[in-house]
Amino acid sequence: MDFFLSITSTGLVMGVIYALMALGLTLIYSILGIVNFAHGEFYMLGGYASYLILSALSGLHPLLVVPLAGLAGAALGLIFEILFLRPIHQDRIDRPDEYAILVTFGLSFFLINLTLAAVGPYPHRPDSFFPGTVNLGITRISGDRLTAGALSLILVGALLLIINKTWIGKALRAVSQDKQAAAVVGIDSLSMNSIAFAAGAGLAAVAGALLAPSFSVTPDVGAQPSIRSYVIIVLGGMGSIKGSIFGGVIIGLVESLAAGYFPDPSRGLKYKTAFGLLIFMLVLLVRPRGLFGRKEE
Amino acid sequence: MSTKPRLQLNLPALFSKRILQWGAALILLVVALFVPTFVETYRLHVIIIAYFYAILSSSWSLLAGYAGQFSFAHVAFMAIGAYTTGMLGKHFGWPPLVGIVFGVVMAGAVGIAIGALVLRFKPAYLALFTIAFSEILRLLIRGETQLTRGDHGLHLEPLLGADVISRVPYYYIMLAILVGTLLFMHWLVRSRIGLFLRAVREDEQAAAARGVDVVRYKVLAFAITSMIAGLAGAFYGHYVTIISPNMMVLTQMGLVMAMAIIGGVENLIAAALGGILIQVGLEELREFGAWRLVIFGALLMLILRFARNGLLTPLFRLMFGLGPRAELRKDTATVPEESAPVAEGVTADGA
Repeated sequence: MDFFLSITSTGLVMGVIYALMALGLTLIYSILGIVNFAHGEFYMLGGYASYLILSALSGLHPLLVVPLAGLAGAALGLIFEILFLRPIHQDRIDRPDEYAILVTFGLSFFLINLTLAAVGPYPHRPDSFFPGTVNLGITRISGDRLTAGALSLILVGALLLIINKTWIGKALRAVSQDKQAAAVVGIDSLSMNSIAFAAGAGLAAVAGALLAPSFSVTPDVGAQPSIRSYVIIVLGGMGSIKGSIFGGVIIGLVESLAAGYFPDPSRGLKYKTAFGLLIFMLVLLVRPRGLFGRKEE
Repeated sequence: MSTKPRLQLNLPALFSKRILQWGAALILLVVALFVPTFVETYRLHVIIIAYFYAILSSSWSLLAGYAGQFSFAHVAFMAIGAYTTGMLGKHFGWPPLVGIVFGVVMAGAVGIAIGALVLRFKPAYLALFTIAFSEILRLLIRGETQLTRGDHGLHLEPLLGADVISRVPYYYIMLAILVGTLLFMHWLVRSRIGLFLRAVREDEQAAAARGVDVVRYKVLAFAITSMIAGLAGAFYGHYVTIISPNMMVLTQMGLVMAMAIIGGVENLIAAALGGILIQVGLEELREFGAWRLVIFGALLMLILRFARNGLLTPLFRLMFGLGPRAELRKDTATVPEESAPVAEGVTADGA
């Protein structure tokens, strides 16, 4: 029973962080209508940004760097969106669906190799937020991961508030529901696209910065979290914010439980991602709109 | 725009253009045949690997550029071919040639299954599904160490036995596979099947309404290109004699895609040449270290954005005359060059 509670709580904490990252992807999908295949690379850049800023400005508390890493990710996302994605919405690209897939994947290829060239292939780890472990009563969990989970929870809450209560959130929702109607009431969908992409990229970077002290960063570290985010958004329903949060927690739990109870522990750990992927393929085949997705057409 | 004047106007032009194209291809082939006489062993190895990538990039361009299925699982099918023959050899002692045949069959069978599953997916879902498939397979190969030796790498018998040290025979075999698959794909694209595939790519519903068996041709395209990838992988395995799950990471897929797109994704020869030139270029520019791939990544994005036809396709058009389409376009000169692939596909003179 203790074992069960312990892996469940780890799964929950990780699930919230996963949800944060998947929310970024959902935000981009619901506004721009594209899947960002470079999402994991924004996660990776967040981790590197926090490592590099911390080693440049020693003495700064690691937690203070997290927002900076998020801003760096958002800035890069903004530039990319304006240069490469905006033309889609100005009808300057034919076959936009394929273009969006390829150009974001191209960005991921570019960023991985850029990091490899600039920083090198060796893992880096920024300083811990709070060294040591925290006793939660049922289990002990590392201070870093607990901090990351708590901050993610706060950010998810803040994001929900922004989307549901503020003007900009209303505008974003309007664009995601009907671009033309939104344009009629004076919402500039092009700037909403930029905001959504920058915010989504920033969220991925924040997730990367939050997890970097727990799992160190390498140039190819983004592959797993990005694939996990695809799993989550498809499971929750593409474009559904509620779906991303539930999906994130479910995947966090599934990974943690399946890895914990797999007959052969070392193999279980290796297959952690594969369990999520299996759910993913099943959802795609059986119920492509996921748990909370809008019905297509 | 009636079809009649087009035929009258351009039959002779079309004819000489054909001759020019085949002539150029023949010259390339002759040069390729003499490569081992003036290239040292290491360079020859680089070129063999370049041919391997050319097979992958051209078959991916058939799947993506002609059939419109932007699959991310192409290198996974390559790995299926390699691991099938590798495991048959390791556990049952089967000879490489039999293993390669089984590798191709296995890649084709899995290709049919995946092709049938992704049939109705929109592009983004297809991309996600194929990424998931590719990653699950990679994790399985990494995890099942007793079967595959995981990250330690699986050893394969050299195709021609341990006595043959020279790379020259391998060079000719890889060249033969490349030329053979290119000819086969070229024939396929020019046949009715190719026409149907392009029709499905442009408008699936319209094609179905016209009586094209959409399901069959989409799955067929997936299966055929998977088999070609499997063949390339199986032979590659018996050439380099050690394979690991790293051969199918997503950045490898990215490299193959970059080759096809930089060459020209809607032209088989351009995609193959893109593969060869980029692989050789990457080796030649070794002194720049990791920055080479950064440049290719940037190039990939810029080409996607500004030159949908890649770098080689427009070059071909320049070299072999503009052909009937371009003369026609003088009347409708407002259409920019990049938005042409629709017309290119249907007039069947695209290559």
